Amino acid sequence: MLMTGEQYIESLRKLNTRVYMFGEKIENWVDHPMIRPSINCVAVTYDLANDPQYADLMTAKSSLTGETINRFGNLHQSTDDLRKKVKMQRLCGQKTASCFQRCVGMDAFNAEFSTTYEIDKAHGTEYHKRFIEFMKMVQQGDLVVDGAMTDPKGDRGLGPSEQRDPDLFVRVVEQRPDGIVVRGAKCHQTGSINSHWHLIMPTQAMRPGDEQYAVSFACPTDADGLYMIYGRQSCDTRKMEENADIDLGNKKFGGQEALVVFDDVFIPNEYVFLNGETEFAGMLVERFAGYHRQSYGGCKTGVGDVIIGAAALAADYNGAQKASHIKDKLIEMTHLNETLYCCGIACSAEGYPTEAGNYQIDLLLANVCKQNVTRFPYEIVRLAEDIAGGLMVTMPADKDFKSEMVVGRNGETIGDVCNKYFAASPVCTTEERQRIMRFLENICLGSSAVGYRTESMHGAGSPQAQRIMIQRQGNIEAKKELAKVIAGIKK
Amino acid sequence: MSIGVKFCGGCNPRFERGLALEDLQRDMPFLEFEHAKEGVIYDALLVIGGCTNCCASYCQYQAEKGVIRMWDKSHLDRVKSELKKISED
Repeated sequence: MLMTGEQYIESLRKLNTRVYMFGEKIENWVDHPMIRPSINCVAVTYDLANDPQYADLMTAKSSLTGETINRFGNLHQSTDDLRKKVKMQRLCGQKTASCFQRCVGMDAFNAEFSTTYEIDKAHGTEYHKRFIEFMKMVQQGDLVVDGAMTDPKGDRGLGPSEQRDPDLFVRVVEQRPDGIVVRGAKCHQTGSINSHWHLIMPTQAMRPGDEQYAVSFACPTDADGLYMIYGRQSCDTRKMEENADIDLGNKKFGGQEALVVFDDVFIPNEYVFLNGETEFAGMLVERFAGYHRQSYGGCKTGVGDVIIGAAALAADYNGAQKASHIKDKLIEMTHLNETLYCCGIACSAEGYPTEAGNYQIDLLLANVCKQNVTRFPYEIVRLAEDIAGGLMVTMPADKDFKSEMVVGRNGETIGDVCNKYFAASPVCTTEERQRIMRFLENICLGSSAVGYRTESMHGAGSPQAQRIMIQRQGNIEAKKELAKVIAGIKK
Repeated sequence: MSIGVKFCGGCNPRFERGLALEDLQRDMPFLEFEHAKEGVIYDALLVIGGCTNCCASYCQYQAEKGVIRMWDKSHLDRVKSELKKISED
């Protein structure tokens, strides 16, 4: 069943999700002005799936049930599926100019599906069977699931079992015949509050001795003992201002991160997918990270499309659109953006089937993709700021533009003064110029910069994590042999 | 004559795909266009892609007189001509 965006939002109201912000419990978090834009963003992933103009990317046929499902719940069955995933993410980025949050779940589904199959093969467990049943529920209910990986990690020089506080990595504190009790937290959880369920994975490869930390499981977002503390974003309280609109830059959409706390949460056996098999924690992490590094080649490209459009509009509004350096900067932004996309498509096209049957991306190309994402969006916003000019950060508030307070010698209001001195090309009104400048402010250094900049740096792993993978996958020895042959070196 | 229409997903279309369909509906009112559904047998299937890749999946649909694909608005005249020919057959 495909839900609509509205049905999705209503489904959130039925959950007893515990959310805290500014030191207080938020009762009606669905309508909270700081949270709602991120919910609207996820709702777009539902509405696009119901639109025939986008359904080819937004939906897929379930390999488990044969039903039409939202592609965010799909287990990739081919390289075509992998490519369409990236295209879907670009589309969603274009429609929201934000992080639409639903990718982490999709990437976790695919990593869990193949890893649980291989754990069962090695250990005779039944994680894969359990996971298939979980996926059927997710697909049939068209649910949003937060794929959660990042632990607080405490002292980075120490392993999970060596920390002063044992809860700094999510762990099993009690094994029961019917399930496990887990304690700990997951940081930076994108879209966690907006999710129906959470799918928890270990944060890193584990060693013998780390058995209690080698754990993966699913649990409802409103499970007893689970709560979230909302993460702040730059300029976030602008959303709390009365009649906030233009000054927000992107009034309707936004991203969301939170600290998710597991305060002794009971997980029934049917939702446990890894429990002590330390040697498989690394496989799960590597596969999830690979998919998620592919994802960034789609979503950030879509947001980049909007930024390039906004920069071009800013040039038009400033009357600078004919300047050759402006045209060149827009070309450079497009080149950078499409390079991100190229890697997303390439690592998908070079994908391969896992033993479980779903498709995995090419790890080297996916890591190259994400490594580019840690850099190019910064250059894209630098160029956008260059084109827009300083006004994007020095412009008075919208209330000033609308103020009727008389301040001038001849009876001019504050609004008259602002509209006089901030008018530019006749192709736009002063308000239109305000709107595009505020949009750029929001994405370059306001609340949406969380998603476009720092998330590009650290999401799906920080730059060094990709460099380690590139080193492992880069096959330097084979390249040496190539050089030896050409150079005539025989030893 | 019934025409099943399948759009690509529209990740980076080079033209307005919806307007292309509106153009066809306006110029060819004697044809019945509808978004393609599985299990329905159409006279023809029209696949509207937004770029040269034209990646829309359409093997799941049935059409008795063939599939017409377009991925550029300059294809509209050709599509109209092919649809007209099919309707006259």
